[in-house]
Amino acid sequence: MMAVQDSKNRPLWGALILVVAIAPLFSGNQYLLSIAVMTLLYAYLALSWNVLGGIAGQLSLGHSAYFGIGAYASTWFFIHMGISPWIGMWIGAALAVVAAVIVGMSSLHLRGAYYALATLASAMVLKTLVENADDLLGGPRGMEVTLLRNAPWQFQYTSKEFYYVIALVFVALAVFINWRILRSRYGYYLAAVRNEQDAALALGVPTTRYKLYAAMISAAMTAIGGTFYAQFVLFVSPDKVFGANLGVVIAVVCIIGGRGTLWGPVLGALLLLPSEELARSFSGGMLGADMMLYGLLLMLVIWYEPRGLVTILQRWFGRSDRQRLTKQGATQ
Amino acid sequence: MSTYLQALLGGISTGAVYGLIALGLSLQFGVMKIINFAHGSFLMVAMYVTYYTCISLDLHPLLAAPIAAVALFFIGWACQRFFIDGIYRKESAREPIGVLIFTTGLWIFLDYFALALLGPDSRMIDSPWANEVVIMGDLIFTYPQVAGFVVAALVTTGLVAFMRYTALGRAIRATGQDREAASVLGIDSKRIYQLSFAIGLGVLGIAGALLLPMYPVNPFVGDIFGMRAFVIVVLGGIGSIAGAFWGGIIVGILESVGSQLIPVTYAEALIFLLFLGVMYFRPSGLFGVEKE
Repeated sequence: MMAVQDSKNRPLWGALILVVAIAPLFSGNQYLLSIAVMTLLYAYLALSWNVLGGIAGQLSLGHSAYFGIGAYASTWFFIHMGISPWIGMWIGAALAVVAAVIVGMSSLHLRGAYYALATLASAMVLKTLVENADDLLGGPRGMEVTLLRNAPWQFQYTSKEFYYVIALVFVALAVFINWRILRSRYGYYLAAVRNEQDAALALGVPTTRYKLYAAMISAAMTAIGGTFYAQFVLFVSPDKVFGANLGVVIAVVCIIGGRGTLWGPVLGALLLLPSEELARSFSGGMLGADMMLYGLLLMLVIWYEPRGLVTILQRWFGRSDRQRLTKQGATQ
Repeated sequence: MSTYLQALLGGISTGAVYGLIALGLSLQFGVMKIINFAHGSFLMVAMYVTYYTCISLDLHPLLAAPIAAVALFFIGWACQRFFIDGIYRKESAREPIGVLIFTTGLWIFLDYFALALLGPDSRMIDSPWANEVVIMGDLIFTYPQVAGFVVAALVTTGLVAFMRYTALGRAIRATGQDREAASVLGIDSKRIYQLSFAIGLGVLGIAGALLLPMYPVNPFVGDIFGMRAFVIVVLGGIGSIAGAFWGGIIVGILESVGSQLIPVTYAEALIFLLFLGVMYFRPSGLFGVEKE
């Protein structure tokens, strides 16, 4: 996967990715497929986060807010007004953009750790508000998506294959958006903001405005992921979709893979999600053993290479770092 | 009226312990600019250390505090020495994101390790001392509340004095302000980091011992307090030790008086809203210095 950008091997790698990507569809194993769907969902979320957290370098820990907005908006419009989640997800995305502007205006002037904590706190405020909205949003119990069984136009289907294909398309689109941004003038401005904000400002880059755009794109993408989750699980609750750990996990997946790179977020999800499942099935019923291994894995990867999996693979496969840095703007 | 006064004073005493929890975080934050997400889990460790010391040695909870402090001091020292330092060096040019992810891993690991080792039950020490009360007019305080406030105030004062008047304390502050300048002056920043991480956890050990008589310990007890500690640190001003103490008291008051006036569930939002307001109008915190 690392040689994707390498022109002479490109068709080969492209074919390999395609084969690996569609292979789960032919397994027919529903358990395997649901793990694959969750892996793709997290790859998608990490790619969404990457726009703000990776390319623009703003460490948001509050993306659970946008995810929750997307999940709740489409579900609410579906059960109360009969609007298909396919349309509802755009309403969710629009609401998430509004939220991103509100959060961004109050926090994007903050730097580093302060920004991270402000986003985390914003997500907590929103979660508390949702938990208290008993009449409108079902309070702490959440809402159930009305079960329709096979209704593809209502974003529902009994087989996991349906969700797998959609998730795959979502990931492909998210990779494309990331690729477009990384290659554009706007992407270089964002990289400048990430690497040396003061210098970028001095050169006339409107840093706060550009960071805000990145936050808006990132929030809209994340909200659509929220709708997908709601339709896949058919149930939303404040704990599941607004929880603080979700916001942290989204960031962790991206950073473990390699923030600011094109394939890092996907690699992070491919490593973390299946290994969590594997650990769970091999833990032999020992309470909490799966999560212990998960925590250990995080520590190990970061301790070995803080820049994440992309850098580790580059080192192993001996690709020149410099080429990659200019091409993808790997972190620092 | 006395209900409110009772809530106010009760809030101050629990708030002082919150402040003590946040203090170590503020120190690490201020000196190294790292976000230590495992702070809540270390508090959980401190509470279990206190619990088992009290049970096995049949000790008074307050006497277990120094033991917990020493244990956590060494855990903190080792953690910085063997793990965090390496990650920190690899990316010292920017804010250390690696440390944040590492401590997130540590947080998950410690919580679930405790779950696997000790089970999910909440445990509380059953000491007759914890249930005794002081009555002053209409007001009632439990011994742990009084002890919590007094010890937290003493430790904070002690640490403020240490940072202000000793050579070591000044070296820690200098490293926090400008690492390069400090190392030019011959300060070994590596040692200073180990020391400040260790002191931060040592103080947390005391806080854990003070908290245990008021709050039962379970593997996930740190999640609530850890998150709150972050709010307090920012409220008080990152790096400010006295600020953490006052920030803790504000949060304690907000929680106890707030829940008298509005539903408890909203009181939680109130804390985060105050936090956002402070971030917006005064990012350096209520008691932080703007910039020297």
